[in-house]
Amino acid sequence: MDSPALLAIAALVLGATAIGFVVRARSGRVVVASDPSSTDARLAVPGAEVTLLQLSSPVCSACAVMRRVTEELVAGEPALARRELDVTEHPELASAHNVLSTPTTLLVDATGAVRGRIVGAARPEAVRDAVRSVREQLGAAA
Amino acid sequence: MSAAAPAPGAAGTQGIDPRGPRFGAAITAVLLLVVVGLALSGQLVAAIAVHAALVAIFAWGAFAGIRRHPWGRLYARLVAPRLAPPTVREDPAAPTFAQLVGFLITGAGLVLQLLGVPGAVVVAASLAFVAAFLNAVFDYCLGCQLYVLLVRAGVIRPRAAA
Repeated sequence: MDSPALLAIAALVLGATAIGFVVRARSGRVVVASDPSSTDARLAVPGAEVTLLQLSSPVCSACAVMRRVTEELVAGEPALARRELDVTEHPELASAHNVLSTPTTLLVDATGAVRGRIVGAARPEAVRDAVRSVREQLGAAA
Repeated sequence: MSAAAPAPGAAGTQGIDPRGPRFGAAITAVLLLVVVGLALSGQLVAAIAVHAALVAIFAWGAFAGIRRHPWGRLYARLVAPRLAPPTVREDPAAPTFAQLVGFLITGAGLVLQLLGVPGAVVVAASLAFVAAFLNAVFDYCLGCQLYVLLVRAGVIRPRAAA
C-alpha cells in the first residue's frame, strides 16, 4: 500500500473521531430559549406547569434512554408531565420545530409555548436543570 | 420452525443486545478501509470486489433483519457467550434501518463505479466508513438520524394516514 492510501485511511479515522467527539459533546445539550411564535396549546398536557414533549422515531435507541430518564423525573413531580410523539405520525411538528434528529425533547409551558429543547438523550441532572430554568423563566414573566 | 429456538417474545429476551450491531459495525468499518486502501493503491478490481461483498452484506442486514446479519451471528456465537448479559436491550428497527442506509450508499457507489464514474467506490466506502466508525466507537447511529430528515422531506409517510 502506498502513501496516498495510508494518508486517506489516516484522514478518515481522524475525521470520524473528530466528528464523534463533536456529536458526543452536543448530545443532551439543553437550549433554553422562548419561542412564543410557536405557541400551540395542543402540545401541553392539560394541568401541567411544564410538559416534556419527546419527539421520537421508530429507529432510535437513544429515545428509549431519554424515555426512562424523563419518566423517572416526571414520576416525582406532579407539576411536570411528559408525552411522546412519533415524528412519522407528526411530520408537521418536526418541521414546525425544526427537529433534525430524535430524540428531541421540547419543554412546553401550560399555554403550549416552547420554552426550551433538549437534543439527544440527556443525563437526569441536565433535564432537571432545564426544567428549573424554564420555571425561572416562567416565574420572571409572571 | 425448530422447537429448540427461543421464542422471540419470551420474558427478558425482548429486543437485541445493542453490542451486537456495534461489533458488526467495527468489522464493516475495517473492511471499508480495506476498500479505500486497495482502490487508492491501484488495486481497483480487488477494491470493487470487497466493496460488492459489503453491499451484499448490508442488503442481508437490511432485508433479512439485523438478527440474521452474518456479523450478528458471529457476535452471538463467539463474542456474546464471553461477555456479561446485556444490561439494556434495543429495538432491532434502528440497526436494521442503518443497514438499509448503508446498503443504499454503498450500492449507489458500486453502480456508479461500474457505470464508469471514477472514484465512486472510494467516496461511498468513505461515507459508509464514517457511519460505521461512529456506530462502533461512539455508539452513534448516523443512518438513524436520516430518518427524521426523510420524514420531513415526505419520503417516509405516516402509516395508516391518508
